Amino acid sequence: MTLVRWRRGVQLSALLFFVVLFVLARYPYTGALPSDLFLRISPLLPLFSLLDNLSLLWDYWPALIILLLTPFVGRFFCGWLCPLGTTLDAAGHILKAPDNRGPDRWRRLRPVKFAVLIGALLLALFAINIWGFLDPISLLNRVFTAVIYPIGTLAVEGVLLGLSNLPIIGDPAYTVYDWFKILLMPEDQAFVQQGMGVAVFFGIIVGLEKVTKRFWCRYICPAGAWLGLLAQFRLFERVVGDNCTDCSICSQGCKMDAISDENARTTNKVECIECFACAENCPPKWNAITYQWTQRPQHSAIDYSRRHFLQTGLGSFAALGLMRIGLHNTNNTATLIRPPGSLPEPEFLEKCIHCLECVRICQSNGRALQPDGIRNSLLELWAPVSVMRMGYCEYNCNLCGQVCPTEAILPLTLALKQKTPMGLAHFDKDLCIPYAKLEDCLVCEELCPTPDKAIKFESKTTLLPDGTSKQVKYPYVVEKLCIGCGICETKCPIPGRAAIFVTIEGQMRPTPDELPADALTILPVSEPGTKMTA
Amino acid sequence: MRRQDFLKATGAGLVGLAAAPLGTGSLLRAFSTATEPDAVWVEQGEPVELLTAAMAAYGGMQRFIAPGDVVLVKPNIGFDRTPAQAATTNPDLVAEVIRLVLEAGAKEVKVIDRTANNARRSYARSEIEASAKAVGGKVQHVRDNRFKSIDLPQGKVLKSWPIYRDYLEADKVINLPIAKQHTMSQVTGGLKNLMGVMGGNRGKIHRRFSKKIIDITAAILPTVTIMDAYRILIANGPSGGNLADVRKPRTLIMSTCTVTADCLATGLFDLQPTDLGYLREALKRDINLFDQDNLNLKKISLS
Repeated sequence: MTLVRWRRGVQLSALLFFVVLFVLARYPYTGALPSDLFLRISPLLPLFSLLDNLSLLWDYWPALIILLLTPFVGRFFCGWLCPLGTTLDAAGHILKAPDNRGPDRWRRLRPVKFAVLIGALLLALFAINIWGFLDPISLLNRVFTAVIYPIGTLAVEGVLLGLSNLPIIGDPAYTVYDWFKILLMPEDQAFVQQGMGVAVFFGIIVGLEKVTKRFWCRYICPAGAWLGLLAQFRLFERVVGDNCTDCSICSQGCKMDAISDENARTTNKVECIECFACAENCPPKWNAITYQWTQRPQHSAIDYSRRHFLQTGLGSFAALGLMRIGLHNTNNTATLIRPPGSLPEPEFLEKCIHCLECVRICQSNGRALQPDGIRNSLLELWAPVSVMRMGYCEYNCNLCGQVCPTEAILPLTLALKQKTPMGLAHFDKDLCIPYAKLEDCLVCEELCPTPDKAIKFESKTTLLPDGTSKQVKYPYVVEKLCIGCGICETKCPIPGRAAIFVTIEGQMRPTPDELPADALTILPVSEPGTKMTA
Repeated sequence: MRRQDFLKATGAGLVGLAAAPLGTGSLLRAFSTATEPDAVWVEQGEPVELLTAAMAAYGGMQRFIAPGDVVLVKPNIGFDRTPAQAATTNPDLVAEVIRLVLEAGAKEVKVIDRTANNARRSYARSEIEASAKAVGGKVQHVRDNRFKSIDLPQGKVLKSWPIYRDYLEADKVINLPIAKQHTMSQVTGGLKNLMGVMGGNRGKIHRRFSKKIIDITAAILPTVTIMDAYRILIANGPSGGNLADVRKPRTLIMSTCTVTADCLATGLFDLQPTDLGYLREALKRDINLFDQDNLNLKKISLS
């Protein structure tokens, strides 16, 4: 089997593994195969967490393995493992991405990815996390959560349930549907806000395949830039034999444009992702390309000058300013209810990579979490937020913290999560049925999950407009019992705005050092390190 | 034999009554020839023992189930709570009911509830899913496209409401509520358990609850109601969650009349049926099969 076939096999397996982990991020969740495993492969994670904490987190062992190997064997991650890269390869195939013939208009964009990486690093020094948006694994996970899976469910439910309404094939269709539900997608249809935004973002990245192969990987991806920096001394080299006729077939076909037009004998190791297509493309009668280990590797210049650095610095400074001068309108943040156990807001946004794994697993539980839009700052975009009119935080669930790859949401034990208020419920008495219509309702009280209900009521004799009187039960919230789970807001039976709603008042945003040592769940996977080295 | 036919036949045994709509309890009572008691109350036993004793006194499962029947069992699986928290029907009881139904020759037993909390969590934590599957019950989750709007010609407030199709199409329905404190209605039991087969925005039923719940349930009364009162919740119901609110009367109440079972259950909470608005409404509309003042109740103590 050729190297290219091996590579394709590994690529498909890695993508499949990514999808399997994604699908298994749902209730019931044991953590035996941690769903955030693939997210923790991202080579950017150790870099930025090092900057953040000045220590290496063993949680990121999958990424550390990649980083350890890259200096010796190069950017194999991009060519062999990255599920986004594989997706783009497939997309390029379908979209018929052009090869490198013709005047080179795009190679001058190579510095962009370094600018993205360096800019993200500079901003990270000022506690601004921009890299999470562009992390390739996080990005693909976001697309799966907010676009692919919901549309997939819609298609399956639509087709099979549609067929199940028909007379003869109805029963078999329903049986297939049942199996589908049991094996693949047991959750109800997911409805997501911001799905369109995520789709457009991804659509652009895929669409750039029409410009060049792997446009994103060549010119934008910060993970690629980071691995490229590490890879340039790699010991496993492409060696071109003397029988090379400079036919340029290899350089034209190179999906990373890593082979020079002038001299096909040199490889740009910063760009090369070791797809090994060049040897395969080399005409059999020459067969000039081999790959060999060497002790004295060449290295390639990085297409990033001092001038570029200056530009990046200025750009980052401007971006930093823009992020900081946004109006902090507290009206917008009143319902900015993060998942239970989220770090205090600045630290949360510093850690969150917008991968939406928490939103994904919440869809199989209370369905409170949604990707947020922009409230006051761009950084809030696609971070998880509870939209409690449409879903609530399930009292017996703490899974969002279990699957968060960066511990922006702490993995609280269930007992602690049940005592960590996300916010506080308030009645709107102009809307609430007993107050506004003088009739009993108490749906909120019925569903309040705390063992001692946080919604209580007072039964009062009420004078009605017609002069008669009756007993009406008026509900109210007991602040010290309410944990802001929002089931009251979700299930409030009136149309439109709920008569009871949760705000961030009283929310608890714990930090790891405030918590007792046994407060956090240690998942099996966290060994050899622990979840809590921070 | 379909459920409706069965109810009519039990009451009268007369073909001429086939046209009588459900809810004409008094007419049925007048012709009653049944030898079994109207209701059975068994106490001081484990769930399976309670059911065995109740069935023995009530004519056995074959009294309700004919060979080949498709049967729907409707336990309360409403919340993500453990059996010990008494917010959901006892799983051992559910399993034993299914076992007896299959033993009586039923073709298929479906177990279903439209839950308040996440269905998968509730089905699992209540242990009903596992125990029902173990004895051959078909445990199903509610599917939104399987509700069918039915007319409620007798309804005082509601004129139609969506009901789960499998419930309507089942030959027999066994209602398996758990008796719990419920702040708005005071006690929830058999009638309120039927909310688990109702579609739509169920929260809306809470406003003018007494009238609406009777509007709907009068049209969909089950074959028999077996009330689990092995454990009951006396406060913070119906969701519960606090073991201090759980009592263990170790009791089971069974009746072909859901209203009767509910009236009896109020006794567990030191209440009178007339203390409850929706039971007053039910009795006023005469949807009960038996006269509550002259109830032929068989009480059994297993201690």
